[in-house]
Amino acid sequence: MIHWDSALTILGMGITTYLTRIGGYLLLGGKSLSPRATAMMDIIPGCVLISVLAPSFASGRVTDLAGLAITVFAATRLALLPTMAIGIVSTGLLRAVFP
Amino acid sequence: MVSIKKKGKNFEVVCVLVAERSAGDIHTRMSDTVAPRSALDGGFWPEFLRGMRTSIPVMIGFIPFGLLLGRQAVQQGVSVFSVPLMTGLNYGGGSEFAAVNLWANPLPVVLIIGVTLLINCRHVLMGAALAPWLKEVPRRKALLWLFLMCDETWALSLSDTQKRQKFSVGYYFGIGWCLYGTWVGSTFLGAYLGAKIGDLTRYGFDMAFPAVFLVILRGMWKDHRMSIPWIVSLLVGVVVYRLYPGAWCVPAGTVAGALTAACIVRRVG
Repeated sequence: MIHWDSALTILGMGITTYLTRIGGYLLLGGKSLSPRATAMMDIIPGCVLISVLAPSFASGRVTDLAGLAITVFAATRLALLPTMAIGIVSTGLLRAVFP
Repeated sequence: MVSIKKKGKNFEVVCVLVAERSAGDIHTRMSDTVAPRSALDGGFWPEFLRGMRTSIPVMIGFIPFGLLLGRQAVQQGVSVFSVPLMTGLNYGGGSEFAAVNLWANPLPVVLIIGVTLLINCRHVLMGAALAPWLKEVPRRKALLWLFLMCDETWALSLSDTQKRQKFSVGYYFGIGWCLYGTWVGSTFLGAYLGAKIGDLTRYGFDMAFPAVFLVILRGMWKDHRMSIPWIVSLLVGVVVYRLYPGAWCVPAGTVAGALTAACIVRRVG
């Protein structure tokens, strides 16, 4: 069973998140961006992704950071799937060897 | 001492990343994440399939986290059926982990919704980056499509759009629906199985996400103007995460990077 308060919370979360999704589109409408804003929009998406990644870089464990460094290295030269495989396997092995 | 060491290492990693990218031709290397030429001018369904293929590694990355979220949610007292309801209506992993951690009795409804807003406000910037490519799409359709815009769908779709100078609906839906289904399904499975499954992220599967994002970042890299805002985002994100564990680093790092970008763009003109 779902209680009314959890239903309310979930509904509120859903509406809030949806509004953030359409917010940028609605703010810009059909307008074109100025060259300055376009330059900003080239840079900002990366800032979003890097901020989402920050917790991985903030890990206090040496094995995790070593695994991350290997993944970063792989990401600069390989496609997504091999990068992922190398990241997962190397991190898993490092954790198994140095618990 | 430990933190100084770590900071140095992070910085080194970023410098390596930056150097690698400026040294080589990124666009040709990015092509390995995109489908063969034959699908370039396909209709909706070939593009949908191309999106599905692209999303496979990301789906692999979603599953351990979905299972983990479902398991944590049930342990925190969220009912088994509320879990897919939450992940299906809200569909934003970071905010869901935060909500589950704040879940208590009595339920802090306003706090959870407020935190959801803070964590997901980056979507506004993401939507703004995508909006110019949706100019020809009828407004009502665009608003519906944006429901599927999660970090990965947005990033993959945007980098594909920038590369081809054209937004592909089929590609967007191919990625979007696969990831949506995977997320809702795996969180429900995690909730349903509960403690019966271990924490897969402990075996290295948590590195799947950095891998996805790093490869996407490589594709977004254009010139060195990006390096300073990106490094600022990383440093602020890391510091905030160390001070306030949880998802606060996401809005903090994004805003810090965006402000830096604004300064740089203004100075360069």
